[in-house]
Amino acid sequence: MSGYDHALKYWYPVAMADELDTGQSKHTKLLNTDIVVSRSNDERLDVNAAGKSLAVQHAYGHAWTTFSDTPYPLFAIPESSEQERRFVPCGVVRVSCSPLRAVENFLDIAHFPFVHTGVLGSEPHTEVYKYDVKIDETVDEVFATNIKFFQPQASKSAEGGIETEYIYRVPAPMAAVLYKTCPPKPECLDVIALFVQPLDEETCDVWPWMALYDDTSSMADLIQFQQLIFVQDRSILENQMPRKLPIDPGHEIPTKADLTSIAYRRWLKKRGAYYGAFERS
Amino acid sequence: MSTEPIGLARDLAPKGVMRAQVGQTDLAIWRSTNGVVSAWENRCPHRGMRLSHGFVRGESLACAYHGWHYDCSGKCNYIPAHPELEPPSTIRPNIYSVVEQAGILWVNTVADAKPVSLPNDLIALRSITLDCNLPSAIDAFKAAAKVDAALFNGTVTELSQHPKILSLESPSGANGIVILFQQPHPKSVVAHLLAKDVYQTNELVAVSRWCESVRHKAEQQ
Ligand code: FES
Ligand SMILES: [Fe+2]
Repeated sequence: MSGYDHALKYWYPVAMADELDTGQSKHTKLLNTDIVVSRSNDERLDVNAAGKSLAVQHAYGHAWTTFSDTPYPLFAIPESSEQERRFVPCGVVRVSCSPLRAVENFLDIAHFPFVHTGVLGSEPHTEVYKYDVKIDETVDEVFATNIKFFQPQASKSAEGGIETEYIYRVPAPMAAVLYKTCPPKPECLDVIALFVQPLDEETCDVWPWMALYDDTSSMADLIQFQQLIFVQDRSILENQMPRKLPIDPGHEIPTKADLTSIAYRRWLKKRGAYYGAFERS
Repeated sequence: MSTEPIGLARDLAPKGVMRAQVGQTDLAIWRSTNGVVSAWENRCPHRGMRLSHGFVRGESLACAYHGWHYDCSGKCNYIPAHPELEPPSTIRPNIYSVVEQAGILWVNTVADAKPVSLPNDLIALRSITLDCNLPSAIDAFKAAAKVDAALFNGTVTELSQHPKILSLESPSGANGIVILFQQPHPKSVVAHLLAKDVYQTNELVAVSRWCESVRHKAEQQ
């Protein structure tokens, strides 16, 4: 099975659930195929490719579609039904890079002091302490746990620097979910997810979505905070060479801080998720 | 690939980082605080970030992504995520030969850089990028020199036989300029301009303006 055939079996976000007025439509791309997203009635969005309508489901603030008649089920995010949380779709950031590079960057903490200086990290707090990574065989997902990192401004709701705890989860090749310390509610974890729409192997639309405990910040401020972070990441992602992600060892040199990235690449390879990979399957 | 002129030495100040293209190779060129110039493949061995986006910290170049430091020999000497770790000596970018001569930086991506020999009465004036192919650029400079011969004291002769060097002189040899051509992409040419050291400042300004007008003509063809 080629990387493309493998990629066909997943659901992908193509719009925010509340995007487009009734009667409106937009043209976009998915896995190198032109698609049209339109709203024929108030409740739902439709997706068409070459005149044929595709399956659509609404979840986590977005409309998701798939080319497959027998797709893998869309992964679960149980926190999406916790009504005390605020659900914040953050819009879209277009990035000229492999969708896999976008996910891998999201899983990386060592860049915080250099790329998100004064916000998610700052020198001299650059050390990445030992953390744990495993593939959960029952759900076949990558998990990274026990990550701790000093952050000057961990989120919109943080007042000053704190040691933040992170848990990462990769439920699909082009999606990642982050659970991190919630500054106003330390016993709970905020959820920040990254949903990636692969336009082609070297271009993607990134749709961040958050489920937070934050009663004070305005929606606009929360979105602006995340957008700033992703625009900083884009300046890196568009300058990584090659644009596609090398998933075989040997092209790039990792260290202990990259355990999540190493596990992610291995996991992609094992599943044959070569769409956006530097190597061919 | 031969030795290529990639820029003026003085355009790369201490702590400066620039990007250059030689053949198929994308390069990061940087100068340490003490003045040492290095030319490396523009790709950090860690996660592929372009090193031309990095910052000079003393005698090292720090990558913009995770801040790894590389010294002037290319060896990685600091990984901020593991401050106590002595990085393995195998971590280094691909390194190329670079030398400074006649005020120009010369790079060779396959062998030692051997600059072409130039008269030593030249001063490096500026680099200028033309959006056209190499023959059009050279033709435009030749044609313009014949029309605007005042810069060469009335008449102009072409001296160099080198395919990527144009040497324009007055018959006496007293006035003249040398243009070194570099072709980073098929449709783009960089002309590095050197002038005989006899020109006054206002004349150098005139030479520089003249080159801009030549660019304009070359790009319109
Ligand atoms: S990519 Fe250069 S330090 Fe990580
Ligand atoms: Fe980031």
